[in-house]
Amino acid sequence: MSSHTSTGKELVPLDVSAQPRSKRFSIAKAQSWIRRPLLVLRHRWQRHLIYRTVISTLLFTTLALLAAGAFLSNQIASTLYEERVNQISKESERGLAQARSILESASTTDRASTQALVNSTLASLEGDGATVVRDFVLMPIAGDQSLYVGPMASGSLTTRVIPADLAERVAGEQGIYWRSVELGTDEQAQPGLVVGTKVLIPPGREYGLYLVYDLSSVQSTLEFINRAMAFTGLILLAVVGFVAWSVARTVVRPVADAAYVSERIASGDLDRRMKVAGKDEVARLGTAFNHMAHSLQEQITQLNNLSAMQQRFVSDVSHELRTPLTTVRMAAEVIHDAREDFDPLTARSAELMYNQIERFQHLLNDLLEVSRFDAGVAVLDRESTDLNAIARKVVETATPVADEYGSIIRLNAPSEGCVAEVDPRRVERIIRNLVLNAVEHGESNPIDITIAANQSAVAVSVRDYGIGMSEEACQHVFDRFWRADPARARTTGGSGLGLSISMEDTRLHEGRLEAWGKPQVGSVFRLTLPRSEDQDIDSSPLPLEPAVPENILPPVGDSFPLTGEVPKIGYTPLVLGLDDVLADDDVTDPSTTSIEIKKEEN
Amino acid sequence: MKARILVVDDDEALSEMIGIVLQNDGFDASFCYEGSGALEAFREFNPDLVLLDLMLPGIDGIEVCKQIRAESDVPVVMLTAKSDTADVVRGLESGADDYVPKPFKPAELVARVRARLRPNETHAAETLQVGEVSIDVAGHQVTRGKDAVSLTPLEFDLLVTMARKPWQVFSREQLLEAVWGYRHAADTRLVNVHVQRLRSKIEIDPEKPQIIQTVRGVGYKAGTAS
Repeated sequence: MSSHTSTGKELVPLDVSAQPRSKRFSIAKAQSWIRRPLLVLRHRWQRHLIYRTVISTLLFTTLALLAAGAFLSNQIASTLYEERVNQISKESERGLAQARSILESASTTDRASTQALVNSTLASLEGDGATVVRDFVLMPIAGDQSLYVGPMASGSLTTRVIPADLAERVAGEQGIYWRSVELGTDEQAQPGLVVGTKVLIPPGREYGLYLVYDLSSVQSTLEFINRAMAFTGLILLAVVGFVAWSVARTVVRPVADAAYVSERIASGDLDRRMKVAGKDEVARLGTAFNHMAHSLQEQITQLNNLSAMQQRFVSDVSHELRTPLTTVRMAAEVIHDAREDFDPLTARSAELMYNQIERFQHLLNDLLEVSRFDAGVAVLDRESTDLNAIARKVVETATPVADEYGSIIRLNAPSEGCVAEVDPRRVERIIRNLVLNAVEHGESNPIDITIAANQSAVAVSVRDYGIGMSEEACQHVFDRFWRADPARARTTGGSGLGLSISMEDTRLHEGRLEAWGKPQVGSVFRLTLPRSEDQDIDSSPLPLEPAVPENILPPVGDSFPLTGEVPKIGYTPLVLGLDDVLADDDVTDPSTTSIEIKKEEN
Repeated sequence: MKARILVVDDDEALSEMIGIVLQNDGFDASFCYEGSGALEAFREFNPDLVLLDLMLPGIDGIEVCKQIRAESDVPVVMLTAKSDTADVVRGLESGADDYVPKPFKPAELVARVRARLRPNETHAAETLQVGEVSIDVAGHQVTRGKDAVSLTPLEFDLLVTMARKPWQVFSREQLLEAVWGYRHAADTRLVNVHVQRLRSKIEIDPEKPQIIQTVRGVGYKAGTAS
């Protein structure tokens, strides 16, 4: 065959390439045939308790059945064998003794009559109505020449079935000996038993007379019993498997049910409940589960209501306060305007009242804005917006405040390319909050605004060289009403909500607002916004941490280290039409004007 | 002669305070504390301007505004406590010329009132033509073809401002300053709403305007787009 293929290879090279390919293919196919059910099984093993239960039950039952079967089979075999051997030994003893006495008492003197006697005696042995089929073997013990009778055997037996050691013992002593042997050819070996004794046959020669019993009937009985046991075992295994499966199913199903229902509840379907039938443990599980789900639902609903009520309350309070606040504010302003006619103490009181009402109003506006975020009613009004233009606007409005603090605001912006789909009013508010915050904490040092853009995002960073802040402060700076140093007075009268509102505005844009600071060095706030609604920010175009944090500001009046525009005081922004670029009925939220720059009264 | 102003607001303290501020600045103020009596008070007092609160017991401010508009072109300035978008827009669409969000400063209120009371600039006879619409500036008359079109003073100002310079595109901020008298950037919705009101009166198809064009990203201009 191999030589055939080797010549074929040489002759038909096409086959050479074809053969391994088909082989590889079939191997891959076979592997997938094996692997796929294995994978399915493994998956089910891991995912389903019922498979694990049934398979392990079957496994253990099989082991137990095998052990029991082996034990039983062994017991039965040895009992059967012993019984048969007893029976045989009695029979053979009787038969052999009879044969011996007949042969020993024979008085034949010639070959022919001796042969006839032996034949008849042995024939009676063979026949003798024994319960077990038996044959005989007669063989002389010593290789004497002067024998009347030669070796004899009945059936298909030959003297070779007699084991040598048994023949030796028979030759040695008077007595009956037995030994189990294998009968037949090697392929079809049958268990057998040989019983032998020494007899004397005229003319006084010693022979070994053996009776050979065929035990194949015992063997077949045993095999039948084994088969019956195996069959019973299989039936048992099937029954046990089914029982395990149905028991596991009745237990697992409610558990799986509970798991499914919990998943649904977790994903917000609070009305989902388990089906409960009967009064057993499973039903108790269902009832308890439903009870838990019910109380959970109640609590969640209650919390939601509370939260909605609270938000509603904050919103209502803010609205309700507006009308009296308007009256108070107008009255304060009338009094404030007339303060020159008052005595100094009253005049100062008028001033204080006026300023604090301003602050109160500021706080109210911010609170209302925060309540809008909390209620989730704040929406983005996206437009294609140039960040540079917004920054210029902010610089314009913040410059009077900065002047008061002795700071200058420097804008470093690329001339173009910082356009993003954002809500211009919210972004303006963020940048204005950051700039005013920087002015407030800038210790009269310059404020640097830097704008940059990359593929995915636009960014604005606001840097001051003032008191700075610690790392811990950076983490809390966007918290509501948080103050770095509670002892430090709020000089600009900020509400303490400005940065957290900025953070909420940034979140609406899915952008990032981050803070960096170092005490006595300054701080940096960086706003990064995605270019458009469905864009993710890959990286911010600006670093958060300044490259040289210790580099305390160039002296006031110096040009900005990065080349760019340096707006002067009174800088007039270009009208770029960035408002309402889109449709006519484009309506915007007036609340975005809630943080105003107090120019007039300063 | 003192300008007469009707204040319609349910909060008496605020009304009185507004009255004090207005009188301080030389106006003559009268008050009405509920929406249902507003129209009667309007007829009786015959004011030059109405300050109208949006939230009123009885009939709400928007309804009052519609009633007043039905019989007069007198400027209406709304006072709004709710700065919610929908309310402001509804107010403007019902015919109010301008609005002042609470809390406001006296100076702000007075500025808004003065802006609306600004006497129409008297001009030599001047006739402007935009498409089929002709405007007699001195006579305060607008005709479309042969039909006279009735415009409020504010709408008239808006149309004249744009018609005088048909070559120029006006940004919303420019219009706010020219027509409403805002010096600082304010709510550009005022412009949007009033341009729509104006279009509904002078355009054949307000959906496809021919007289007042929108210039995307910039603002509005009179006449056909170049």
